[in-house]
Amino acid sequence: MNSFWSMWVMFLVLLNAGITAFLFWWAPRVRIPVQEDGTTGHVWAHGVLREGMHRLPRWWIIASAAMYLFGIGYLLLYPGFGAHKGLLGWSAHGEHDLATAVNDANLAETMARFKGLPPAQLAADPEALRIGERLFVDNCAACHERSARGNPLLGAPNLVDADWTWGGDDASIATSILDGRQGVMPPLGEAIGAAKVADVANYVLSLSGAPHDAAKAAAGAPEFAVCAACHGQQGEGNPLLGAPKLADSIWTWGGGLEAIEKRINEGTHGVMPAWKSRLDENDVRVIIAWLRSQAPNHLARL
Amino acid sequence: MAGGYKYFEAIEKHAGKLGILTAIMVSIGGLAEITPLFVEAHAITATEGVKPYDPLRLAGKDIYVREGCYLCHTQMIRSLRAETQRYGHYSVSSESVYDRPHQWGSKRTGPDLARVGGKYSDEWQRLHLMDPRAVVAASNMPGYPWLANEQIDSDDIVARMRVLERLGDPYTAADFAAAPAALEGKTAMDALVAYLQGLGVPAAATEPVPTETAP
Repeated sequence: MNSFWSMWVMFLVLLNAGITAFLFWWAPRVRIPVQEDGTTGHVWAHGVLREGMHRLPRWWIIASAAMYLFGIGYLLLYPGFGAHKGLLGWSAHGEHDLATAVNDANLAETMARFKGLPPAQLAADPEALRIGERLFVDNCAACHERSARGNPLLGAPNLVDADWTWGGDDASIATSILDGRQGVMPPLGEAIGAAKVADVANYVLSLSGAPHDAAKAAAGAPEFAVCAACHGQQGEGNPLLGAPKLADSIWTWGGGLEAIEKRINEGTHGVMPAWKSRLDENDVRVIIAWLRSQAPNHLARL
Repeated sequence: MAGGYKYFEAIEKHAGKLGILTAIMVSIGGLAEITPLFVEAHAITATEGVKPYDPLRLAGKDIYVREGCYLCHTQMIRSLRAETQRYGHYSVSSESVYDRPHQWGSKRTGPDLARVGGKYSDEWQRLHLMDPRAVVAASNMPGYPWLANEQIDSDDIVARMRVLERLGDPYTAADFAAAPAALEGKTAMDALVAYLQGLGVPAAATEPVPTETAP
């Protein structure tokens, strides 16, 4: 607030306070002429309405004076009187910073217990699991679902099965979370030839023993060389490239002939954003601990 | 002073005079509280990284307004710990200088979107707008599938950029020249996703410096 507007506000506040103070002092001293009928002689509506004489109730005067004093006290202590910052030095941003610091200190105290502990050990700590689940729901569930079972529409993998696209050790998972991943498969429909896409798709199904057309699969086998560059000769996948394993029944982008043909024709572009601006290494280990704790339940249900 | 009654009488017995003087006293509060902030709001300039909307995001912003997204989503992170912890740094006025009208809002059925850019992938945003329940099972947001079938008219967007240029947004001749190509073949869905993915992004790159007076 520049000095002109500061002066403007101060002037108006003082004007208002001055007028009010003057009325407080002056009004009780004014003598009001009372007529013989007990009214002030002030009439409306041809004498139907007459103004009577009553002193202001004492409570009203005291309440008004209290509010007046409160206003002055407020403007002394808090910002409001132009550029005057208030004797308490209060500001909305200062209050926010204080509340954040207090909360950060509480969190740091809670999280300190988990520092440096491996996820396998944290998975046995109910407090770590509770926090891990909360962090997962806040940050990960939008794509991987609350249950962590993934979403094939997004190519968001199931995180509670035994299959890890980018590697399932703690360090690989932490890298996936902190730095993000870009799972890119180029569209290969043209390279393979439109007529042969169905053959290759049937071959891909045959790798995991899924129902397929054996003749088409045999025809597609030589074309699979294009796919093998990333997915491996037997479709075993390559965690270094984030190329999913094809020789199992787990499908990141949905299983079945149609879904596989679509991926060959259109490619994929799965995006895992980097979370390091929101989560630190300690948070990540707690999340991994929660995922590890969920996996046995999930695998048992299969 | 004892004879002061004639002043009260002069005011109380004339409704017009009483009304005018009452209005003056009441307006002192407004003059002190509203006028300085109103004038200063017009003097706020963009912080570093805050740029006029590129054509696609401008189209997206207008679709955001047209579809009434502001009825459920705010773009105003207040300086309260619970909000900054969830959504990021509190919003500052210099981030909204190119928003006409601003989308701050005060009604949240869904989450605040001031810094949603980059939080999800483009594909997530697209799927979520087509059918929110495809990605968030418990969502109560309606789907907006028709946006995918609506082409953006580049002449229309360029005309809007001309208006904004008149209002003072620093678009350059190169921006106008590049607009038709940038909008070629784009749908309303592409535009809205581009807009959402840009929300709060420049500010995140360089931590916004609060320049306005603390409220």
